[in-house]
Amino acid sequence: MKKLIAVRNLRLCTKDCLCLYVCPTGASDTENSVIDTTKCIGCGSCAGACPSGAISMVPLDYPPQQKKSEAVLAPAYALANAKARQEQAARQLAAAAEGDGLYRLLTAMARSVRLVNEDLLREAGYMLPQSGNAHALLQRLADEPPGPAFPTAAARSLLARLPNNDEP
Amino acid sequence: MRAICPICGYVYDDAAEGVPFASLPDSWSCPMCGAPKLMFEPEAAPAAPAAQPAAAPLADDDMQQLSAGALAALCSNLARGCEKQYKEEEAALFRQIADFYTAAAPAAEDPSLEGLAALFRADLDGGYPGLSAAAKAGGDRGTQRVCVWGEKVTNMLYALLARYQREGEAFLQDTQVWVCSVCGFVYIGGAPPELCPVCKVPAWKFDKIEGRRPA
Repeated sequence: MKKLIAVRNLRLCTKDCLCLYVCPTGASDTENSVIDTTKCIGCGSCAGACPSGAISMVPLDYPPQQKKSEAVLAPAYALANAKARQEQAARQLAAAAEGDGLYRLLTAMARSVRLVNEDLLREAGYMLPQSGNAHALLQRLADEPPGPAFPTAAARSLLARLPNNDEP
Repeated sequence: MRAICPICGYVYDDAAEGVPFASLPDSWSCPMCGAPKLMFEPEAAPAAPAAQPAAAPLADDDMQQLSAGALAALCSNLARGCEKQYKEEEAALFRQIADFYTAAAPAAEDPSLEGLAALFRADLDGGYPGLSAAAKAGGDRGTQRVCVWGEKVTNMLYALLARYQREGEAFLQDTQVWVCSVCGFVYIGGAPPELCPVCKVPAWKFDKIEGRRPA
């Protein structure tokens, strides 16, 4: 069973095409330059041959994520809720802004706050989509959808697609 | 005297510049990252002897619950986590859930620029010092890093909002607003900085924020 798959970073690819020469299964011969993960056997020949370092070998399985202490999570969650209020306020103010400068500034701020919040929550126990925490959240949402408009099918599909790394 | 930019660490040295820092106009800003003059700190600031910050306040039970807006960020973060693993379909599914929560977040009542500035201020005065202290006490290096980046970005947002309130639309006329797509740092200028002053990614990681009617 393969443990890795090759992925290409198009921004780095300089089309030297060494991957085509060395791939034993023809996984890299696609028109859109996205390596065919079903054909890739994870041998790493293409990553080793690529002169521009555009191909990396990405694992299929990820380790359990770092544990977080309650003493850190409580203030982290409180800060995440504060960030959410800022994002909401910035978005509403942007929508109501008359000047183009203010509109751009507040739109930037809403995006900025969201990025900061994503970073915060990533470190607050939600680094990996395959984590036990992510699974528990998805399970809760699938079991008790928070509203009629909630995409329950998306939560169920994610539960089926993503392994749970924190389960022994 | 030497003044230091709290965002990027740029040093303004009176001796080297010829013009004393104090004589620079208030509209002067850091040549590296655009941080306003008012945010600069004198270099001679005595290294505070590891002022043991008060332990983070105990959270109430309801604080441990994440709001709809926070869950939106949690899910868009997991979508990005899927993108990094080249799982496009899973990323799209997490984005669906994130979009649900973004729409479900309750509207802010009577939002104002002053109110937004106060929210930023509260994070700078309480949110970050509290979380940083808890992370330090628990040896959580990842969360300490989050605090360093987040505090710098929030400082910049607070300063930019204050500057807009002073100068109005003139502040942003004939210039661009950029957001670092990695850490959220906001930069005002014709072109993005070569390196993000907060997280050090290259200029192409910055996104230009377009107006309602692109020229």
